[in-house]
Amino acid sequence: MNAEEKVPVTILTGFLGSGKTTLLNKILSEEHGKRIAVIENEFGEVGIDQALVIEADEEIFEMSNGCICCTVRGDLIRVLGNLMKRRDKFDYVLVETTGLADPGPVAQTFFMDDEIREEFALDGIVTLVDAAHINQQLGRSDESEEQVAFADVLVLNKTDLVDDATLDDLEARLREMNRMARVVRCQQAEVPVDTVLNLSAFNLEDALERRPTFLEPEYPFEWTGVYELTPGRYQLDLADGPDPAMSLVVRSGQGPDDAGLREGAEWCVRRYAEPARPVEVDGVVETGEHAYLELSSSGRKSFYVDVTAKDSVGLFAQHTAEEFDLKLRDFEGEEVPPSAERTWVAQHEHDDEVGSIAIERDGDVDPAKLNRWLGKLLQERGVDIFRTKGIISIAGDPMRMVFQGVHMLLDAQPDRPWGDDPRQNQLVFIGRNLDEYAIREGFDACLV
Amino acid sequence: MTETKVTGVLQSDWSAAIQDYPIASGWTHDGAVLVVCDSAGGLYVFDSQQGELLWSEPCAHEGGALAMSMHPVEAVFATAGQDGKILIWDLTGAHSRCCIEVGSGWVENVLWSPDGARLASSHGREIQIFGVDGAEQWRSDEHLSTVSALGWLNSNELVSTCYGRVTIFDSDTGEPNQRFEWKGSLVSLALSPDGDVIACGSQDNSVHFWRRSTGEDSMMAGYPGKPAALAFDSTGTLLATGGGETVTVWSFEGDGPEGTYPGSLELHERAISTLDFAPDGFRLASGGRDGLVLVWSLHSDGQGRPEGAAMLESVLAKVCWRPDGKSLAALDGDGVVTVWKVS
Repeated sequence: MNAEEKVPVTILTGFLGSGKTTLLNKILSEEHGKRIAVIENEFGEVGIDQALVIEADEEIFEMSNGCICCTVRGDLIRVLGNLMKRRDKFDYVLVETTGLADPGPVAQTFFMDDEIREEFALDGIVTLVDAAHINQQLGRSDESEEQVAFADVLVLNKTDLVDDATLDDLEARLREMNRMARVVRCQQAEVPVDTVLNLSAFNLEDALERRPTFLEPEYPFEWTGVYELTPGRYQLDLADGPDPAMSLVVRSGQGPDDAGLREGAEWCVRRYAEPARPVEVDGVVETGEHAYLELSSSGRKSFYVDVTAKDSVGLFAQHTAEEFDLKLRDFEGEEVPPSAERTWVAQHEHDDEVGSIAIERDGDVDPAKLNRWLGKLLQERGVDIFRTKGIISIAGDPMRMVFQGVHMLLDAQPDRPWGDDPRQNQLVFIGRNLDEYAIREGFDACLV
Repeated sequence: MTETKVTGVLQSDWSAAIQDYPIASGWTHDGAVLVVCDSAGGLYVFDSQQGELLWSEPCAHEGGALAMSMHPVEAVFATAGQDGKILIWDLTGAHSRCCIEVGSGWVENVLWSPDGARLASSHGREIQIFGVDGAEQWRSDEHLSTVSALGWLNSNELVSTCYGRVTIFDSDTGEPNQRFEWKGSLVSLALSPDGDVIACGSQDNSVHFWRRSTGEDSMMAGYPGKPAALAFDSTGTLLATGGGETVTVWSFEGDGPEGTYPGSLELHERAISTLDFAPDGFRLASGGRDGLVLVWSLHSDGQGRPEGAAMLESVLAKVCWRPDGKSLAALDGDGVVTVWKVS
């Protein structure tokens, strides 16, 4: 049976009060044509409509194969084993975990039990995060950190309860913990259903088909300001800052909301990848170009931006506006305040125990060395490594090798041919207290 | 319905269709009636001579049936399902004579005691015992996890399995008499007819068994899959086990099976899903995910050869000998009930 015929399963995790049931009800109401089974371990005060709801006691079993991280969920094996017998198969299964659940055993169930693996495909892990409370929860509970670490999608819910700066900071913290996850902001769990279902997150071949990399981009800019402007020449006014130069992209038609900012950010990542054009003090920055502002002279400096039609303009700056006291002024010298602002990276370092290590390296890998290194790493640190993903360029092999793992379970397979693409390696490890230096060094030793 | 290919000792008798995947079945003690229930909650009562459907109930258990048990003496059977109910039925009519509402979760096991005086059931982590009238006699404390299987050693002792533990209860008092521990998820249970050996298949691809008389614990590891099908023959000499494409048969002759090689019955192309020994003699029926039903003639050392075969369209949910051993019923995943005469 191939992946298309398997019933997809999404795991919904998140602390009590993060909005799991609200999201569940939203999914069920929007996907009402489908037969969806919901397996619940926690019977909340909010009822679930329409679907077949199965209550199950969360039962975590060790597989007694000597590996303490090989735990599975016995209740799921039983319930799913029964569901798959029915002739009118379900189109989708949603597993809602308790607020305090470790997603590891749930995910591993879909790899450790042959019969379950034959009939069901884990589609993705969606973690709901209560924007108002997650900062305290992360410090206090391992489960909360694990739920963030395992996620393919982090739904940052209840954004109306905190201010934008807090949200930016929180998002940066979450992204530092989990570099693979897509972050979606919302209120009352109002997210498009296609951002949480049918992700094929555990089918790397499928997932990479849609997006060439599983690493969420690390933006080369730290700050975006959106300005509502009428035609005219505007002055970009900067004070002395920490660097003698700074990259900037001016984007026309920039939306001020979360979706618009993200779309703009993706677009600007590509602009930032282009060679920069140096712009001297008092020079003009063209819309859409990668400009490199010369800031070595002391005192306040000006650059200019020409706007030809009424426009919503986004400034994507390499550093935050604060660092250079960046201001936009109209032709009368009046300061124009931004209609929206977004900071893209952490303003200060969080020292979370859970974090991501992303490795990107050109060149080819010796398969024997990689096997030895990865095998040893997962054997020794498998308990603390929650998720692993990789695209590897094996020396002499025309195919890309992709792999992914949950704790010690690792699944590797050839993907598509490299063709004309540059051969390079990408790996992500998400785990607790990982030794970044040792892991990077270990991988580098596998390069040919 | 497509015609099945049948060879050897199996001779086509009758077949019938039910609505959905068969979950459980049972013959009456006189072999006159076969009852089947399915995953849509349907209940079907067939006359064993011609396969005539005597009566049926399309949705006895909302959500699906999970277990059934034929009363050993009276013309009565019990069913249990996802609706949290146990129903006790008269064979003669489509009305349950007793409905026990156990709770909101699944009732996964239901089993009459050998003397027919009690009905054991499990619901989540709890066991409940009822009389024939449906009145509760006692219930257990919560097990460590959901009860996976129940079995009667004799009319006075009930065995339960769950993750990590086998418990033997006194069926009069509900007091636990004996416990065996094993850190694994026990997924199947078979008891030797003399009540001394308790055999369990474990999620970790092993078969465990405990001897009550000595307290000895043995483990047979190395199965390629989890042994979800187990069966003892009527003398307690042979234990047939699934857990892969091969039927592995352990012989309890002499000092065995510890330290002996088991019999290996290899003809199935996919994992064994169901096993049943004929009421007497070393005759075993096996069914697999490949749709193949085989009847084997075994020796007391566990070795054997096939003496009958039939190919069905779908995975075998259950094979089940009629109490006289002269008929075999097979239930497959397409909802087809096939009955053969066995010479």
